[in-house]
Amino acid sequence: MATDKQSVRVQRVEPSFNPVQDEDLDQYSDELSELTIVDVDVHVDDTLMFMLDYMEGHFRKRMETVLQADFKGEPGNSLRNMIAHIAWLGSSYDKPPRAKLATQKDLLARMEKGIIDYSILFPSELLPVGYLPEPEWAAALATAYNQYMVDAYQNLDGVKIAIVVAPQHPDRAAAEIDRHAAHPDVVSVCIPDVGVNPPIGDEKYWPIFAAAARHDLPISFHGIEALIHDNYPLRVAHFHTLMQVNSMGFPFTSMLQIMSVVCAGIPVRFPNLKFAILEAGLTWMPFIMYRLDAAYLRYRTELPALEKKPSEYIRDWYIGTHELEALPRRGDLVKLIDLYQGRDTTMWASDWPHLERDLIAGFMRYDMDDALRRKILGENALQFFGLKPRP
Amino acid sequence: MTSEKEPARTGASRRKITVAAVDCFPPGARMEVRVGSAMIAVFNVGGDYYALYGRCPHQSAPLSRGRLQGTVICNADTGWKTEWAHEGEVLVCPGHGMEYHVRTGKAFGYNLKLRTYEVVVEDGQVKLVM
Ligand code: FES
Repeated sequence: MATDKQSVRVQRVEPSFNPVQDEDLDQYSDELSELTIVDVDVHVDDTLMFMLDYMEGHFRKRMETVLQADFKGEPGNSLRNMIAHIAWLGSSYDKPPRAKLATQKDLLARMEKGIIDYSILFPSELLPVGYLPEPEWAAALATAYNQYMVDAYQNLDGVKIAIVVAPQHPDRAAAEIDRHAAHPDVVSVCIPDVGVNPPIGDEKYWPIFAAAARHDLPISFHGIEALIHDNYPLRVAHFHTLMQVNSMGFPFTSMLQIMSVVCAGIPVRFPNLKFAILEAGLTWMPFIMYRLDAAYLRYRTELPALEKKPSEYIRDWYIGTHELEALPRRGDLVKLIDLYQGRDTTMWASDWPHLERDLIAGFMRYDMDDALRRKILGENALQFFGLKPRP
Repeated sequence: MTSEKEPARTGASRRKITVAAVDCFPPGARMEVRVGSAMIAVFNVGGDYYALYGRCPHQSAPLSRGRLQGTVICNADTGWKTEWAHEGEVLVCPGHGMEYHVRTGKAFGYNLKLRTYEVVVEDGQVKLVM
């Protein structure tokens, strides 16, 4: 019931053809502006056209060919959109509205609100790079992406970059890490983990981990929806709707890669290397930790390099909150985090400006003590990416 | 944007809030009304006015900015065939696309209904009753 004392404001508005952005931050600005906020999963427009000038030789020619292809309606001949949307074109009747790609200007406008202290930029376009069949082409794309991102996004207040590597070409991946690690705005190595075959713990990839460890650069795994990849694990071959593929794709991939890395003994071999998982939600974390522990009891002799049980390695992994599952009760998120022992490793992530991005209200509605909220909204990410609080 | 003076209280404890003159609120238009910290979305759909709680229960996106379109339904009435229905009456959240029936506030596919408010037209003014 409204009381007479309450102020009234009326505004004529128009329907939004793009998802609403950033009002979520305005809504919580009082509460958040005093805190250090790090958004650990932010995407800017990195469609292939931006990479043309960074390609050389026959790959430049090839990129020109790609850019001439006419995939109607998809911006910049987007690799990921072409693949994603051909399979399920129109299946959601354009609901929610199409995500807009964020330009550098959009990003800066969001930062200028003074609420977010750091945005960590992750690839959009190159997230499928892990399953491109040609290692040289994949590596050339990663090299072009990294140089473009550094040129376009360095020296911006609060903006940091995760370089991407093509795991199917470990030597080129290690060279990328060597090339960019010293740059003050490069804060992580992103391994797009979908479609990586064999799984990422395989010995063939160890040069990537060695390079990251050498430069003390944390590794972030970032998934992508299933796209056309047919059976990695439980994808198009198994489900016929994007919703099912999307729901299972991210967490199954993450569980598979965590299992692969831990069982290969990589945390033992590279003890200082930090890992994070992004865009896979949180609820499966207890499952993979304690499921592996149960099996470890019987099969430990298969993994003689491990010095402690799997959950004791996995609890050190950082994890981004996006896509935050809607748990039924306000106290449930803390219970979940305690189950996977994640008070020091859970990091708020929005996935801005993608369709499925989390508005901060989704996180703020869960009850938790202030100290934990501060950790998740920023302090844990400062730790993971090696950043100092901004003044 | 208009800022309204508080109208005289008419009901015992219900307040009528002037949203706009009828002339300024034609079919197809919508208004976002903030009363204190609450947000209410008011729509004119084909000459009928509807008011709904204005923030999506998912992650609080402003429902006043949602598009109105149709949606797919599949139930005993359709013989369990998928059909396109409710054209122009399905409010799509501009956050992540939850859908609400603009006339009732009922969410499609969820056991959930948005609060609705009475809207009256008096003296050529569209008023929200709270
Ligand atoms: S805020 Fe409405 S669907 Fe997410």
